[in-house]
Amino acid sequence: MEQRLGNTWRMTVNEKKFIESALESELRVDGRRPFDYRTLTIKFAREDGSSEVQLGQTHVMSFVTSQLVQPYRDRPNEGTLSVFTEFSPMADPSFEAGRPSESAVELGRIIDRGLRESRAVDTESLCVVSGKWVWSIRLDLHILDNGGNLVDAANIAALAALLTFRRPECTLGGDDGQEVILHPPEVREPLPLIIHHLPIAVTFAFIGEELMVIDPTHHEEAVMGGRMSVTLNANGDVYAIQKAGGHGVMQGVVMQCLRIASVKTGDITSKIKTVVESYKTERALRMVKRHAPSNAADVNEPDQKAKQILEGQKLKSEECSVSQSDDMDVEQDRINKRSKKNRSFTGRPSSWDPYSEGVNTDELEATLASRGSVAVPMNLDNLGDNIRDETKSDEPLSDVNPVSSSTDTAGKEMSISREKTLQDAVKPKNKREKKKSSKIAAV
Amino acid sequence: MDPKPSMTFIDKPVDHDTITVIKAGILRFSEPNKYWIESSHKRFIPTVGDTVLGIVVDKRADSFFVDIKGPMVAFLPVLAFEGGTRRNIPKYEVGALIYARIVNANTGMNPELSCMDASGKAAEFGLLKDGYMFESSTGLSRMLLSSPTCPVLEGLGKKLAFEIAVGLNGRVWVNAEHPSSIILVANAIMNSESLTPVQQKIMVERLLDRVN
Repeated sequence: MEQRLGNTWRMTVNEKKFIESALESELRVDGRRPFDYRTLTIKFAREDGSSEVQLGQTHVMSFVTSQLVQPYRDRPNEGTLSVFTEFSPMADPSFEAGRPSESAVELGRIIDRGLRESRAVDTESLCVVSGKWVWSIRLDLHILDNGGNLVDAANIAALAALLTFRRPECTLGGDDGQEVILHPPEVREPLPLIIHHLPIAVTFAFIGEELMVIDPTHHEEAVMGGRMSVTLNANGDVYAIQKAGGHGVMQGVVMQCLRIASVKTGDITSKIKTVVESYKTERALRMVKRHAPSNAADVNEPDQKAKQILEGQKLKSEECSVSQSDDMDVEQDRINKRSKKNRSFTGRPSSWDPYSEGVNTDELEATLASRGSVAVPMNLDNLGDNIRDETKSDEPLSDVNPVSSSTDTAGKEMSISREKTLQDAVKPKNKREKKKSSKIAAV
Repeated sequence: MDPKPSMTFIDKPVDHDTITVIKAGILRFSEPNKYWIESSHKRFIPTVGDTVLGIVVDKRADSFFVDIKGPMVAFLPVLAFEGGTRRNIPKYEVGALIYARIVNANTGMNPELSCMDASGKAAEFGLLKDGYMFESSTGLSRMLLSSPTCPVLEGLGKKLAFEIAVGLNGRVWVNAEHPSSIILVANAIMNSESLTPVQQKIMVERLLDRVN
């Protein structure tokens, strides 16, 4: 009977009284003052569009992915943005897996409103073919640890992820100029989203009759009588105010909260921008060419480049491949034509060299220029693996090992037209491990 | 070593008997022949004789249901107080903090508590008023209860006046005159779990300097 509740955290009357009496002397239980934020840490994974935010004990992760879809009928020129939240049961004993609880839905709505109503993300630039193809941006928020004030942390995570996300570039082409061609990241640099400004959410908790604190912890949230979240940007524009239930506050208090929030917003915005800038420079450095040792054998040069293409692709094209899968039908004819040409190219071992260097963009471009269409179909073949419905895949692709699950695809097998060697037998295992490790790094 | 969670006697092993470790922790020894493994968890396994801090969650006619951070809710008989009769049953509300002793802890059954020591005296057991309670791990509780006094408490006790109740189930209650002292003591203790004695002393000194 009571056993099921054995893990829930319980509040004592002592704690409630103490939090209130300490606040009367402007002290909070963790030593903060009433209007201090906890330490904020923002981290990024290797993949674009993924961020991890720690606000004290609260831990939130956010992922951004994109997909080409048909637009809504009443907005044929705009892309879409959708927010999904997942309250993991490991974050709090009261979270249950399955249907999102009321607070989960509320969190999603606050973040969604902050981004959508304020038009922070430019949706018109997401249109590819008006009325037919637009980019749909999906933002996933995972709550890993509930230490209080999930709204603020999740909002920061969402903004950090959106600022670092890059979608594949696509152009119109084909016979009638209506076909959409998606370019893999090695061919054309993926594009960042256009974000006009950063709407920051600041949460206040009302404890007792007149006491108010910013950024409540889990314990303070259990004791509070009401809560209010305001979303505004560094320029002082207020985008949203959320006050759902709880005891009432006077109008003067609301104005005071807005004033305090605008100060805090400036701090948080500058923090986010600094972190994103350093991530961008680090990313650019990663793409910089590194000098290959001069006698690493010109014989091995083509292999090196192949490996580099593979490597770069694995790390970067995971999300792109997911987003492109729907578009594969459009590209089918092209893939088929080009892979037929690929058949004549043999004899290139594709072993996974643990000492291979990063992607050399200059050399890559040189390779592509010299080889023409041959290098490109390798990429497309790889992407071809990710097609979910294999019924559409043609003959050249049927040589590829059948894809067991869509998750274990990217970069699985390149050996469509190469002879099987001993290294091929070794390769799959290494590749899978490499993939796992890159996935772990990202997630 | 032995399936028992906290302490176990192991005599000289008889021939063909081997000792195997089944828990991670520090091996401790006490004369003449007691060995045990001490580890730190956030969960508490009730054992007879432990003193714990419990939170009242429900009241029945003959007992209070008290949560002690174990797998099951414990019950505290209404008469298990010094001089307890049917006429002077204590009135504990839900959420009250109780310092009690475990008298019965069989696996599968709800543990039984008592607010009397073995000889029937009250001996500091009972309701804890005011103050602030925080939760941590069982290892920290044991460290705070060790003798000689652990450096954190010694360092804090030199400058501040406070009272403290430590439950072996990972709960610690602190009370002092001013909320600032309570917060200081609580944070100092929470930070001290993974520090060596020397580090603890330094941490406490720095904290006190910063405040004064």
